Amino acid sequence: MKARYVPYLFLAPAVVLLLIFKVYPIALGLKNSLYAPGFIAGLDAFVGFDNYTGLFADHVFWHSVYVTLFFNVFVNPIQIGLAFGLALLLNARLKGIQAFRSVSFIPIAVSLPIACILWNIMLNPEQGVMNSILIGLGFSPQPFLTSKDQAIWIIILIATWKGVGYWAVFLLAGLQEVPQVLYEAASIDGAGKWDRFRDVTFPLMKRPLTFVTVADTVANFLLFAPMYILTKGGPENSTNVLMEESFNSAFVYSDPGRASAIVILLLILILLIIGLQFRLLRSKV
Amino acid sequence: MKKSLSALVASILVLTLAAGCTSSNNATPASTDTAAPGTEAPGKKPDSGTAEITMITLSDWDKHGLNDVIAGFEKQNPGIKVKLEMYPFRQLFETIEVKLGSKSKEYDVVTIDGPLVSNYSAKGYVDPLEPLLSSRDWQSKWIESSIQAGTYNGKLMAAPMNTSSQVLYYNKDIFAKKGIAPPSFDIDKRWTWEQIIDAAKQLTYDTNGDGQNDIFGFSFEQIGRAYQMLALSESLGAKPLSGSGLTATGFVNSEKSLQAAKFYSDLYNTWKVSPKITAEESGDFFATGKVAMFVGGTWNTGKFNEAKVNYGIAPHPFFAGQKIATPTGSWHVGVSKYSAKKEAAAKFIDYLTVGEGSKIWFNGNHDLPSNNDILKMINDDKKYDQFPDNIYRIATYEAQHTAVPRPVTPGFLEFESLFNKAYDDIKNGTDPKKALDDIAVQMDRQLKKYESLAK
Repeated sequence: MKARYVPYLFLAPAVVLLLIFKVYPIALGLKNSLYAPGFIAGLDAFVGFDNYTGLFADHVFWHSVYVTLFFNVFVNPIQIGLAFGLALLLNARLKGIQAFRSVSFIPIAVSLPIACILWNIMLNPEQGVMNSILIGLGFSPQPFLTSKDQAIWIIILIATWKGVGYWAVFLLAGLQEVPQVLYEAASIDGAGKWDRFRDVTFPLMKRPLTFVTVADTVANFLLFAPMYILTKGGPENSTNVLMEESFNSAFVYSDPGRASAIVILLLILILLIIGLQFRLLRSKV
Repeated sequence: MKKSLSALVASILVLTLAAGCTSSNNATPASTDTAAPGTEAPGKKPDSGTAEITMITLSDWDKHGLNDVIAGFEKQNPGIKVKLEMYPFRQLFETIEVKLGSKSKEYDVVTIDGPLVSNYSAKGYVDPLEPLLSSRDWQSKWIESSIQAGTYNGKLMAAPMNTSSQVLYYNKDIFAKKGIAPPSFDIDKRWTWEQIIDAAKQLTYDTNGDGQNDIFGFSFEQIGRAYQMLALSESLGAKPLSGSGLTATGFVNSEKSLQAAKFYSDLYNTWKVSPKITAEESGDFFATGKVAMFVGGTWNTGKFNEAKVNYGIAPHPFFAGQKIATPTGSWHVGVSKYSAKKEAAAKFIDYLTVGEGSKIWFNGNHDLPSNNDILKMINDDKKYDQFPDNIYRIATYEAQHTAVPRPVTPGFLEFESLFNKAYDDIKNGTDPKKALDDIAVQMDRQLKKYESLAK
């Protein structure tokens, strides 16, 4: 009888910490999203779901939803595809492959804000080295981050540059776990390179791929630093993702209620998308 | 079982990352936290009789006179040490929101942009200053407009460090090279914006033959910032907000405001006489001879002298046949409501704004003073007839005759952020009408929450 409680006892420290540091802040966020600033002696006014209904009627919010989805629809497949490709290349048994592995992981070691600032200097439309190269090659200079059509793609590029090496590490670990005997057996059965990839590598990679897909999606939905540092959500709100709009609501527009409501809606959105991803990538092995 | 397990794992993962992110919002942005040299001996804690106060302020001000002010203050007040925590322009406002919004006790002295005094007062970030100030004669010490900017609901909330004014700097070498007569120093021969554009078109050219202009005719200093941009619409007679400071539609996007925004847009997109750079880069562009004319603050002389630019000074331009309007207003200092050392903080503010510190600050920062004693000194001292100190002759005139303060509204932070965003977009090619109409709606929504404050 006693033994039944033992596992829970062991789980308790982790559960308590999760409750304090994860569940409580979310509950607090939920509570904040029901209040509006009152200005008198710090007394905030309870407004029910006004912050939410306000958001639903606000085209800036809907535009942010669109930008967030647009960004993720492109950045996630690009990152995961490239990371998988990179992992396959890095898994090749070549002389000196260790050196290539190290080089491709360098962006991981650069902090994102520093990377953003360096990219910003290189992409400066008036002074940047990118435009000097373009002009040198006979192309016309580009506005990059100052153009509402290019800015989001530049951020996708920077996020990918930074992220691919990181996610490739997980996939590389997964690839190295695939038993060699399966490849040998498949070869003996007459499977070509493509068959081996489709019938051996891919099914056995579903678990690491699921992890990478889910973790990458969450990371990108919550990505904030590049927009904050490079574009402040502009030009014309073209990079104003939900995280940026939430930050601005809290710390620029003095409206923590609206900021919390955005974060709660973002949380629901991410949960829905991740539920979908689990369903699609469910491993049958 | 497996399904519910994976769902659990997924939810925990999302919760973990989402919560991690929300909490990072509350974290301090990377600070350039620098203790002023001489204020804190490393490894030595201030003894029990010493109070240490912290001032949150703008980057580089330690080098522009604030350290000297602190040294003087600490000499007079051996019991008080002053520590600086400095942030770049935009991050300063955000840090204040984060820290004072969460009632942090970290700061004692808060640096406040003039128009934000009412915002911070409404939000309860600062305490009324008057009962704390030891100088009783401050009312006669500062110019009226600076006192007004520091007052909310009839109470002095923040003391002016200085006010400000803008002049037209021009690069003599570039003018000579193109054979164009430069603008005059004479207030009565002030150039119009039309004259500026005419000259700027001739002064924008390519030096290395790559087909890209690398010398530009004109640039603002505070590119896209309300402080400087509002002088354009004010010159055309437009007000950015209603009298109550709570309505933007019909004001920030009025016909005349739009005309000013179009002019700004044309500088970058039609005439292409201004480089598409940021406010942080503009001073360096003039200092390195890439810009022929530059409307900027008096504080730039130090930088331009150091860079050895061959420059001249002229009064701020205006639209032909219209009103002359120049930017004004500047930084104030207040005592944080959550400070535990309010008296020591007020003592420092007193020294910095009324006492000897105000002169040390003027000598280091080169801004236009709010302090009447220093203004009188400028007026009387023959030294200020000579270039480049004669810049204060123009600045003093503008402050008295043409200066137009920024709008008075408890929602200035929201107003300014959206205004700056619109002007940034306009610079990058957005249709001015669309940009202004968009922010007018957003401003109205953001300003609505302050209606309860209006009596």
